[in-house]
Amino acid sequence: MLDSTALTRHHELSGTATRMPERMTISAEPHIRSGQWEDSLNFVALNADKAAYAELFNYFAPRLKAFGMKMFGNEQQALEMVQDTMLNVWKKARLFDASRGCASTWIFTIARNVRFDMLRKKQSRKDDISADDLWADGDYPELEESSSDQWETMLLSEKLAPYFDALPIAQRLVMQKVYLEEKSHQEVAEELDIPLGTVKSRIRLALDRLREALDDTRS
Amino acid sequence: MTHAVKYHPGMMLMEQYVEGTLAPDVALAVATHIDLCPHCQRLCQDIHNDQASSLAADDAPVMADDFAALFSAITAEPQLEKPRKTQQRDAVTVNINGREFRVPRALSRLANQHGKWLQLGGVATAKLPAGDKMHVSLLYIDKGTEIPNHTHLGLEMTLVLSGTICDENGEYGAGDLLINTPADTHTPHTRADEDCLCLSVLSAPLKFNKGLTRLLNPLQQFFY
Ligand SMILES: [Zn+2]
Repeated sequence: MLDSTALTRHHELSGTATRMPERMTISAEPHIRSGQWEDSLNFVALNADKAAYAELFNYFAPRLKAFGMKMFGNEQQALEMVQDTMLNVWKKARLFDASRGCASTWIFTIARNVRFDMLRKKQSRKDDISADDLWADGDYPELEESSSDQWETMLLSEKLAPYFDALPIAQRLVMQKVYLEEKSHQEVAEELDIPLGTVKSRIRLALDRLREALDDTRS
Repeated sequence: MTHAVKYHPGMMLMEQYVEGTLAPDVALAVATHIDLCPHCQRLCQDIHNDQASSLAADDAPVMADDFAALFSAITAEPQLEKPRKTQQRDAVTVNINGREFRVPRALSRLANQHGKWLQLGGVATAKLPAGDKMHVSLLYIDKGTEIPNHTHLGLEMTLVLSGTICDENGEYGAGDLLINTPADTHTPHTRADEDCLCLSVLSAPLKFNKGLTRLLNPLQQFFY
């Protein structure tokens, strides 16, 4: 985690800011394709590639700011979170391991941990529960591909229709494409511009929720 | 681990845990459960992917800011080297009543700094340094011990770390998460031949949009 001296330091540095690479001024956002952000992170890791980092920065910094505003409701803290998160993305790029998850998940967890530790620091507790205690850094053993098939038959139940409509919209969309439009996971990933892993995750989460709903109707 | 975890945190609790919006003491109990439960490790990863992809969506709300100075400042910083080997936290053990227990990853830092064991009959507790407002402790119950019927003002979360707790409702083994509200009355006890170590969290009141019983997954029977 970033220490406070590093934070003050780049406030000072910003006075002597050099111009950003040419590519940063392109206003249209590049279209996301699966693997793009993982590639960018790898270039940052291998060559400290500023152009690759600029792509990540241009895409994620404004989104993180919006996320920070939602969570803090306060611009100063939202900006502090963006700053710490994006600094960690740059500094820790070599620690990113694409085999353990996609780039957006990695960046999201950095932002979440930064935010958690900011709140903790505000309460000036040193021996309190830290982000490192709460969230394992992807060090669980690999899980084998789980079969969602065993739960799929419940989708035939007519009782499920209202619960299907009540799914979070992102999960419902994936379910619709997979089960109603009979598209492959890969096709859905491409159509929705989300990582393949997220397609699989959303299917499992939706099936979990439907199971929960089904169980509720029985009790 | 041969025991299959039966009592999991519900979906809502898991989502708030991943978001980082759960009270830290409750989140600690959830994190420790996840360390012991492969099912929830996967669920946790799925929720991370789901939330991260929403944050990173093409149509996510964005804000116009001039980040040029920040960009320059960051890229002037040195990058960290990849560590040769991912550092594993050393296995941490706690000792009580002549027994040694290994604690899960989430508790390893805190358990190293546990307070003095306070013993009363077959029960011992040691506070974990989790902040002033938190009531997080290790709870040891000797074999063949019954805990008298008691009530709590807040929410009581008990995560079994080793051994078994039995009550009128069933048996809870390593990894199982029990959530008791002030309305619950039960008389937990250990088995005659086996002691038990738990993580106990007495939490400040929580705000949830569903009933407390929904904090535990109602599908526990369905899974295993
Ligand atoms: Zn679980």
